[in-house]
Amino acid sequence: MSLYDNMRSRQDYAGQLQGVQNPDNAFAGMLRQDYNDYIANFRQYEDKLLGMTDDTTLIDRSRENAEKQAEIAAGVQSRNLERYGGGGLSGAQLQEQQKSAQRGNQLSLAGTVNNARVQQREMNQSLLQELIGIGQGVNARSLEGLGTAAQGAVARRGAYKQAKANYSSQMTNMGASILAAFLI
Amino acid sequence: MSKPKSSDYKESEVDKVNAAVAMADKKYFRENYLPKQKEFIERSFKEESGLMSMGEGRAQADTMQALTQNPNRRAVGAVDAQADLASAASAQQLQGTAQGLLGARSDQVAGIKSANQMASQTAAGLSQASKIATTDTLNRAKAKQTRNSALIGAATKLGVQAGANYRGYRAAEITNKGEAGKPANEQDLVPMDSGAGLFKILTGRGLG
Repeated sequence: MSLYDNMRSRQDYAGQLQGVQNPDNAFAGMLRQDYNDYIANFRQYEDKLLGMTDDTTLIDRSRENAEKQAEIAAGVQSRNLERYGGGGLSGAQLQEQQKSAQRGNQLSLAGTVNNARVQQREMNQSLLQELIGIGQGVNARSLEGLGTAAQGAVARRGAYKQAKANYSSQMTNMGASILAAFLI
Repeated sequence: MSKPKSSDYKESEVDKVNAAVAMADKKYFRENYLPKQKEFIERSFKEESGLMSMGEGRAQADTMQALTQNPNRRAVGAVDAQADLASAASAQQLQGTAQGLLGARSDQVAGIKSANQMASQTAAGLSQASKIATTDTLNRAKAKQTRNSALIGAATKLGVQAGANYRGYRAAEITNKGEAGKPANEQDLVPMDSGAGLFKILTGRGLG
């Protein structure tokens, strides 16, 4: 007994499937529906992604975050000072500490936003690159589709012209032969 | 030579199974995979902010754990402790935000790529369908042309024969006219219906 004997289905699933009456019509209908489904379900997201190449989320968010972190750090420092009874610092020292914190916060904000700009640019460039790749595919398939359509149109036009020429030639031959039969 | 039967041109068992299985697979794809594909893309856009928040949250926890777990007097008294904490936390936050956004973008691009691939397959299918339709149109036109050619050929044959019959009848008329001047026992008349109508003449029944 082979391994396959255990796996072999005793049920004829394929035999129970509904037959397709007109496969070329079904194919055309299916493709039309596929395109409609694509537009209805995915195009909005595709457009959204295409609009994200100049995104500034990272920069905006890092600016907000740097300000928030300055507040948090100030809170931490003030609680620690309370815990340690002022830490033995004089008024002048406390003032100097505050000034230093303010300078540091400003520098931190500038540094963070600058770094965010660099990272945002990298991310946007990378997205752009991906989109270009997708776009190449879109372009290639549209050209292919149009090429096929054009090829078909030329073939049909050529066949029509050929058929007209054949018809005309056959009718002329018929007229000439009959006329000749009467005259000769 | 027998007349072609439509049964000779019916789809084979392989064609039937092929079409039925393809249709069933497509239905299964539409009902089960397409919604997942949509869900993936929807989620990748909807969860962008959430992913960034998650990255930031982790970064915050890591920073605070590392920099605030031992608040001693020296740290409290240091001039730059607060600024250092803010600076480190901001830098870490940026990394967290960037990681979250990168993850979201990566999912979004993957989702759109996959949807686009589906669109490509649709386009390729449409190309194929268009080729099939053109072939079908050309075949039908060719068949019609073949029928027309045969009809024209048949009409030519009939016309040429009618012409030959007309000429024969005219020749018989001329011959009989010439023979009419001779004595009756010397006449060699061509047997014909002298009052035959055009239809009889053309169909060759005016002679004999």
